[in-house]
Formats: sequence, structure tokens, C-alpha cells
Amino acid sequence: MASNTRKSPSAANGAASQEAVPDELGFRVVHHSVPRKDGPQKVTGRATYTADVHIPRMTYAKVLRSELAHARIVSIDTSAALQRPGVVAVVTGQDLMSLNMRNYGHAVKDHPVLAYDKVRYIGEPVAAVVAEDETTAQEALADIVVEYEELSAVITVEEALAEGAPLVHEQGYDQGVSPGHVDVDTSNKRSNVCQENHVRWGDVDAAFARAARVIKGDYTYPMTFAYPMEPYVSIADYTEEGLTMYSAAQHLYMVRNDVAGVFGLPLNRVRMITPFIGGGYGAKSYTKIEPLTAVCSWKARRPVRLQLTVEESILTTRADDSKVHIETAVDENGKLLARRAMIYLNTGAFAENSPLVSSKTAIRIIGPYLYDAVDITSYAIYTNTCPASSYRGFGISQIGLPAEGQMNELAAMLGEDSLQFRLKNLADSGQRFFPKKRPLTADVKGDIIKATEALGWNDPLPPNRGRGLGVLVTDAGAVPVGRSEVRVYGDGSVTVFSGSTEMGQGSMTVLAQIAAEEFGTSMGNVRVMQSDTALVPFARSTGADRTTTLEGRTVLQACVEAKEQIRVMAADIWEAAPEDIVLEPTGVMSEGRRMGWGEVIGKYFDLSDMEVTGRAHIRQKDEFAELPPWWEPAIAAVEVEVNPDTGKVTVHKLVTVADIGLAINPATSEGQDLGSATMGIGVALGEELVYDGQQLSNGSILDYRIPRFSDVPANSHGILVENQDGIGPYGAKGIGDGPTSVICAAVANGIYQATGVWLHDAPFTPERVWRAIREQRAAQAQG
Amino acid sequence: MPMFLPRFTIDQPSTLGEASRLLREYGEDGCVYAGGTELLLAMKKGGLRYGHLVDIKTVPGLDAVAQQDGAVRIGALATHMALERSSLVRSKLPIFAQVEARVANPRVRASGTLGGNLCFGEPHSDPATLLLCLEPTLRVTGADGSREVPLPVFMVGPYEVALEPGELLESVTVPLLGAHQRAAYRKFQLHEYPMLGLALVLDLDQRGAVTTSARVAIGSVSPTPRRSEAAEALLVGERGAVRGRLDEAANALADDADLLDDHEGSAEYKRHLIGVFLKQAFEEATADTSAASGGRGS
Ligand SMILES: Cc1cc2nc3c(=O)[nH]c(=O)nc-3n(C[C@H](O)[C@H](O)[C@H](O)COP(=O)(O)OP(=O)(O)OC[C@H]3O[C@@H](n4cnc5c(N)ncnc54)[C@H](O)[C@@H]3O)c2cc1C
Repeated sequence: MASNTRKSPSAANGAASQEAVPDELGFRVVHHSVPRKDGPQKVTGRATYTADVHIPRMTYAKVLRSELAHARIVSIDTSAALQRPGVVAVVTGQDLMSLNMRNYGHAVKDHPVLAYDKVRYIGEPVAAVVAEDETTAQEALADIVVEYEELSAVITVEEALAEGAPLVHEQGYDQGVSPGHVDVDTSNKRSNVCQENHVRWGDVDAAFARAARVIKGDYTYPMTFAYPMEPYVSIADYTEEGLTMYSAAQHLYMVRNDVAGVFGLPLNRVRMITPFIGGGYGAKSYTKIEPLTAVCSWKARRPVRLQLTVEESILTTRADDSKVHIETAVDENGKLLARRAMIYLNTGAFAENSPLVSSKTAIRIIGPYLYDAVDITSYAIYTNTCPASSYRGFGISQIGLPAEGQMNELAAMLGEDSLQFRLKNLADSGQRFFPKKRPLTADVKGDIIKATEALGWNDPLPPNRGRGLGVLVTDAGAVPVGRSEVRVYGDGSVTVFSGSTEMGQGSMTVLAQIAAEEFGTSMGNVRVMQSDTALVPFARSTGADRTTTLEGRTVLQACVEAKEQIRVMAADIWEAAPEDIVLEPTGVMSEGRRMGWGEVIGKYFDLSDMEVTGRAHIRQKDEFAELPPWWEPAIAAVEVEVNPDTGKVTVHKLVTVADIGLAINPATSEGQDLGSATMGIGVALGEELVYDGQQLSNGSILDYRIPRFSDVPANSHGILVENQDGIGPYGAKGIGDGPTSVICAAVANGIYQATGVWLHDAPFTPERVWRAIREQRAAQAQG
Repeated sequence: MPMFLPRFTIDQPSTLGEASRLLREYGEDGCVYAGGTELLLAMKKGGLRYGHLVDIKTVPGLDAVAQQDGAVRIGALATHMALERSSLVRSKLPIFAQVEARVANPRVRASGTLGGNLCFGEPHSDPATLLLCLEPTLRVTGADGSREVPLPVFMVGPYEVALEPGELLESVTVPLLGAHQRAAYRKFQLHEYPMLGLALVLDLDQRGAVTTSARVAIGSVSPTPRRSEAAEALLVGERGAVRGRLDEAANALADDADLLDDHEGSAEYKRHLIGVFLKQAFEEATADTSAASGGRGS
């Protein structure tokens, strides 16, 4: 990216020299763009991902998928497949009958390990073959004969909600382990509504009645795939001792829960290990193919690997597409009064994480604005399509265009600059804009001023160009529960034990930085052991931008706790009172005597390789009692060009702002924001999964195009706002969801400035833009 | 949907004759394997099934690029990247080098060959679209010897070319552009393959003000890349007059293309784009009429 003007603070950064000298805030390691700990392994191809793991006697599974969108399974004949040399086992829904549970799901237990009574979408797993090699397993799939009785299917939300529509699920299900976010549970209702949520305060009708101006609109957000480079893969080894699994799973502890439930195993007999993950962006959150892989191993009595292709991954989970009707009212001074919205998500065949996603759409569509009244309803709707689940920022992408696109349109309608209009209506830091939730924890007004200044908001616009802005907030952090351990060895080296996963976001580096800072040591002297449920402490999830902030806090406190143990040991050695021992950056001091951390441990035990373990946890108490732990802004400003001949939109300039509190690692933080914005550009300009009838028509690596480096705006600039006002270590606040969600709205405003047309349906493909311009010209010619 | 490569064997012949013999022997169950960028994908998708691949990368000299009285002879095995970088192609047929440089992505350009591109009969071929206007001769070799085939005859239909059992494409001989010829290429792309390719070659008079003959082709929007006689006739004449007929010529091109609505776009939009890019190509081809060498393009 030679043309990229995004300046990384790491550019001039020799890590070793920087580690020694404290910066202006007094930090030696933290707040520095130290090189990633996993960088060398990853760029040399030595890093171990799940697909690289090999265990003795391992076999390979392949999945037979439904070719019908909705059908009753009459029979499955596996006899021919079992005859094929090299086939070890064939698994079907029949095998599930002797299990503790046939279904799993962290929100709603509606997801069968394998279809057993009926199939609910094209691509749903119906049977699996386990064989000595992958090719044999694949070939044996063709030997399986499935007899179906076809049922009528619902593909769109409209079809699913129509009077007398066929039901995707006829029965209700138990709730999963984490339904806590669910406002209204409708899983037992006889309809295709999977989830219904309401966010209401104030008297919306009265507010609309006294409004000076009201704006209304309908918007769509396309069906997308989060597209991590690494497809789904997992390995299971089921033995009498229990189940050991390797999987590319973001939230390995939640997966543990789901698989333990399937077999009725106690938690200590399920060991989940997550090696490096090749990206997630939402797609790797929660349980995916692990139950099926585990059941294959259980049946075959052999270790089993199940590795999906990209095409199969798309059929495993996608993101919800949405349709939104939204209305916003202002008074005669252009002050926001009220907002109303109806949000419909097409959730596909199973709930997956869509109950949470849909509940978040209802919160996040409000934005960090001051309203007297709101009335938001959101639905997750079952259809006979590929199940939808998390996507970067849970629900915020689906509502970004209606929420902020309408804000831009409203400003234009009032003849106000969209920046000034926002400044007039945004909440201040510390202001409670959302009843019963934590007051705003970011300076969004200052942030958007910085964004627009960096973009050149008021510079003259060249022809066919336009600019736009968007700002939303996510209630980040999920649940503030977590714990970490830090082990200090007699030689002064340190290991951090964390349940969080390293999925490219840089958790391994950031957690090491915190420990290196606390023990006054180098990055090279700190090791991080992660994501093995048998060995490291619990982490609720690696998502919602929580690791640096929440797990980071527990690492910091665990370091402090270890140092306190060392203080007591030093007091014993020096025969002094613990309170007379001074903790210095690299060790202890008392009356001019000094010892390094490790030295104390060695002397105390009289064993130079002994160790001390510090532990710490947080829970939803005290400073973490109020939710969310912090509000994470999503802020971007863009300058786009519209080719008037082809309708093609190019994003020339991009400014992102991360209101991060303190960037533990500025380079990886900027990387998160740029990556997030790029994901948003993908959807704004072209990404869309398309159903052609009941069949996904472009769910392949060739047909579904995501942005490449050449699509990153030539002029892109990331701003880190560091007010040290976060709940995380050193005042940090998590980022990473980033500005994905607001890109569509910002681009739409740019298109409007360039052409005079407002687009409501993402993606803004050249043909859509061209048509909109043409229709507008035709209308102008007539009127 | 499966995206899984089934079992097959690979033969590695050292002469074209041997390759041809193997292909005859395997019949329907055998296939030429060059860069594999199309073939292996189609096999993974289950669209093509072969038990035997005959790898021609072991035939020496099949990737040679050489000058041959007034033409450049390109071996079927020359990759897109080799052609993009070939100093001979860059100096003698710059438009061709420029088009090759924008085929697909680096990975496909590095292993995909010109022969594979043409023999796959891919309707979205950039080289085939341009070559229609450069009028090359294709040398096809089988067990009973070789024959020369013009490109329009070679391209039978989508994914279908005029190769008999056991026949291979050996080389493509592309005539050089004359001093008074100008060429331009336009390409519009949203996904992995182009959505529209448009090639234009104009023969200009001494002063550069009059088109004495024109060739125009479009690709990606029709069953195979196509020229349109009606459009070409409209492009002949004095520059200003031709400029006034560009919309008409674009419509003639579109009429001859059998445009369809598909996931790339509607037929209506494709018709519109043909007009946009024909104008751009015309302006580019006629922009620098004083320069001596032909074959400018983008
Ligand atoms: C992702 C992607 C993007 C692409 N984008 C573009 C693009 O933008 N523009 C464009 O023009 N093309 C594009 N292509 C097509 C690309 O140019 C071809 O894939 C490539 O040139 C094929 O060459 P190959 O050597 O890999 O052929 P192979 O895959 O080896 O063979 C293709 C077919 O041709 C036959 N064949 C090959 N060589 C011979 C021969 N000498 N004689 C007889 N038969 C032969 C094979 O039997 C097979 O049927 C794209 C392809 C991909 C995969």
C-alpha cells in the first residue's frame, strides 16, 4: 500500500529502544506500536492454525448437504457408502437419538447437529461420511440416498410473515445458556418470528405530533458473508476420558458449553483448544461445526477432522439482511425529538446469534443522540435460507444506513450542514442519552470535528464528488466477566494465561504489552498462553471488542496481585514489614536494597526456577456494574467520486476516528479501524449474497467479491483519540467493531452531494447508481 | 457446490504428438492441462469430469514468443504474465501487452496461459475480444498434422471451440498494427471476470482525420466475443461524422450481442455501457493521430 497516506505510529519504531525509554505518558511498552508477537510466525508460514493440527489415527469427514430448501426426511440409505473401502462411519440424524441433546444453540436450542426430521435450507448438513482420507469421504457422499417429501418454503421476510406461511419451525425450543440479552422470547410462538425486541421511552406519538418536520424512509441492507480467509475447520477426539477439540472458534468456552450439552459431559471433560484463528469478523463467533465434528468422532471412535470449503462456510453462516422503516422528528429549531423504527432481519433457518443481533439493532439504531422519545421494534425472522449470525458489530451494520443515512437526509431537508446538525443533537461525554444505561463514554462531538477537519469538510468540491459523515455507538464489551493469571518465574520471565483467542486482532501482543509494562521487562521476556479450556482461565468470549479492555484489566490486576505476593516474600527475605517494601518498575526496594521480581522468588523458595502466580477477575459489580462497560463510537468521513457515465462510485478519501481512551498498540488499533472501514466499503459498493429462488446463486469464492488492497482508498487516515477515559487498563477502551456500520451512510451522503440522489438500498452498485441518476433526470425533465 | 477436486491421473508428454496421441487414447475421459486455472476450478465445481489430464507444460518451446515477418507468434503455453512482460510484445503489440496486464489477478496471470484462455471458450475473455480486431491465425495440431484456423471460426460458442479430438492449440500468430492503425481497449469489471470488454482498431488515412476501415468487438456480454459489421460500417468516414454516429454504432454492437440480464447487470445497463466505452475508445484511438506507431490503448 505504497500510496496509502495512513501514517502508522509504528513507522519509525524500533521496538527495543522504545521499550526502554518512557514516553510522554510514562509508558515503556504500552502505548507503543511494538511488533506483533505472532508476526514472525505468521509471515513465515510457521504459525499453527487448526488446519495444521494433525493427531494420530485422524480420519476425515465430509458433509452431505440438503438440495431442498424445505422438506421432510423420509429415509436415508447409507448402506452403499458404508461398503466403500476406506469409509469408517456414516453419521445421520438417526445417530443423534441416543445423545443427551440433538439440538444446540447458545440463544435458542433450535439447531440440530444434523437434520433429523426435516431440512430447512439448501446446504443444511444431512449426513456426514468419516473416512481414512478426504477424497474417499467426498466420493462416498454420492453413495448416500436421501428420500425427501418436499414442503413449501419461505425465502424472504415477506413470505415468512405472510398469512398462512409454512413454518420453518413447528415447535418451540429450550433457551440456550446465554439468552440474557433477550427482551421478548417468542421461540414458542407458532409463527416464523424467531425474536422480537422493543426499545421504548417517552411519548413518541406526542413528540411526532408536535414536530416541526418529520422524515420517513425505507432502507435495505444486503445479505452478506463476513468472509474470514480461513474457512470453518475443527478436529474432535472423543474417548472415554472425554472430548478434546481443536477449532477455529472465537468463543471456545461457549462452544464447550454447547458440545458438553450435546453429550451430557461435565465441563472438565470437554477440552477446547483454539490455535491461531485466520480471521473471524463475526463468522467465527459461537458454535458452528463443532457438534457435528464431535458426533462424527463419537460414532467413528476415531479422531475426526472436518474442514469446510469457503463455499460450505458461506452455507454455514452468513449475516442477516435487513429491511428497515424509520421515521425521525425534529422541532422548529432542528432539535431531534423522536425516532420510530421497524426493523426486520432475515435470520435464515436457525436462530444462531440473531436474537442478540436483532436486539442490538433496536439499541444501536438510536445512536448517541438526545431524543425525548423513541419507539423501536426489531424482529428476527426465520426463513428457509442459510442461517444468519454475528457480523462485525452485531446488528449495527444492518441499521447503519437507515440510522445515519436518514440523519444526513434530515440535515439536507432542513438545509443544515450535516456536521453542524449532528453537533447540535449529539450527547456529550458523560451524558445519559439512553435510559438505564451507562452515560456516554466518548467525546463523539470532538471526534466528528476531528474527522471532518482531516477530510477537508469545507474545501471546495471537485465535480462529481461528494462527502459524507456517519457516527453511531455500540454498547460494547458484552458481559464484564473474566479472569486471567500471570505467572512470574524465578528467572524473571513472565507468562500470561488468557482464555481469549488470537484471531488476527492482536490480543496476544496487547496482553503481553500490559505484562511487560507492569514488570518493567521486555516483550521478548513475556509469553502469552491462550485459548485452551483445560489449562487457561475462563474467557466469556473474544468479541464485542472486550479483550483489551476487560481481559486486559484482569491481566493488569493479576500482575499487581503477583507483585503483592512478591512484596510479602521480599519482606520475609529482608525481615522487613511488607508495607516498607517499595515496588519499583523492575523489582522491589527497601532501605537501598534491591531485588528483581524473579530474584525474590528464587531466594524465597531457595529454588531458582520456582514461580508465583497472580490471579484476578472482574464481574458485573462496582465500576463494572453499569452496562455497557463502555460505548464504542463508529465514526467515518469519506469523499467519494461518482462516475456519471457508469454510475461507479470510488471512495477517494477516508478518515476514521477511534475514540480509544489509550491505544495499547497504536499500529494494531489503526489496523482494526482501517480493516473495519474497508469491510464497510465492500458492502457500500458491491458485496451482496443473492438468492435466486431457493438457491444461493453467488455463494462462492469466485462470485462473491470482497475488497482487496487495491480497493482501499488511496488517501486514508486513521485518528486515535486518547483521552484515557476508558474502563480498561490505563484508561483504554476497546475498538475493532469500528466504522464498518457508518460507511454506507457516509457514502450515500457523498453520492447525494455528487449527484443529487439519495440511495436507500445497499450496495450502491454502478447499475443502481446509474439508474437512480437516470430516474432523477427523467423526473426533472417531466416536472 | 462441493468444490472438491476428484481423483485423476496426470501424464506429462514431451512432444505435441505424444500429447495428441494420449488425448486420442483417453477420448472423453482426457483433457489438456495447461495452467489449470479454469480447468481445475471447473473440475472442483463438478462441471467437468476427467480421469486423465495431459499436462502440456512439459512440452518444450510451447511458450515461445517470437517475431515472424510482420507478426508476433505466441506459443499457446505463454502465460498472461509472460506476455504482459515480454519486451517483444510490449514494443511490437503494446495494446496486447496492456490488455494482458489487466487480465484477472496476479495469481491467475502467473499460471494462466493464452492457449487456455482461448481454448476454454470463456465468453469473458479479454484477449479473445482484442484479438478479434487484430485478426490472428491459430495453429492447431493433431495426430495427423497441423492446420490454420481464423479466430472467429475457432470460437464456436460459449465454452466451445473448434478443436477435433486429439487436437491442440499450438500457437497464435498476431499481425502487427500498421503505422496508420490505432487501437484501444476498454474494460469494465465488478467481480472476478470482466463485465464488458470493448476493443477498437481503426485504420486512418494519411492525415489521421478519416477512418478508412474499422474493427470493433465486444466481449463478456455475448455468448462469445463478437464483432459487428453494422457497427464497423458506421465507424468509417470523417472523424466528426463518425463521432455523430457513435450512439448508433453502439446500438448496432449491442443489437448483435444478444445481451442478457444476469448477475453482472441488466441488458439495458450493458447496452448503455457499450455506448459509454465505444465513445471512450474512439476518442482514445483518434486522440494522438500524429504519432507514428499504432496500437495505443489502455
Ligand atoms: C479468478 C479468475 C479471473 C479471471 N479473470 C479474467 C479476466 O479478467 N479476463 C480474461 O480474459 N480471463 C480471465 N480469466 C480466465 C483466465 O485467463 C484463464 O483462466 C486462463 O488464461 C486459462 O489458462 P490456463 O492455462 O490456466 O488453462 P487451463 O485451465 O489449463 O485450461 C483451460 C481449458 O483449455 C484447454 N486447453 C488449455 N490449453 C490448451 C491447448 N494448448 N490446446 C488445447 N486445449 C487447451 C484445457 O483443456 C481446458 O479445457 C480469469 C480466470 C480466473 C480463474
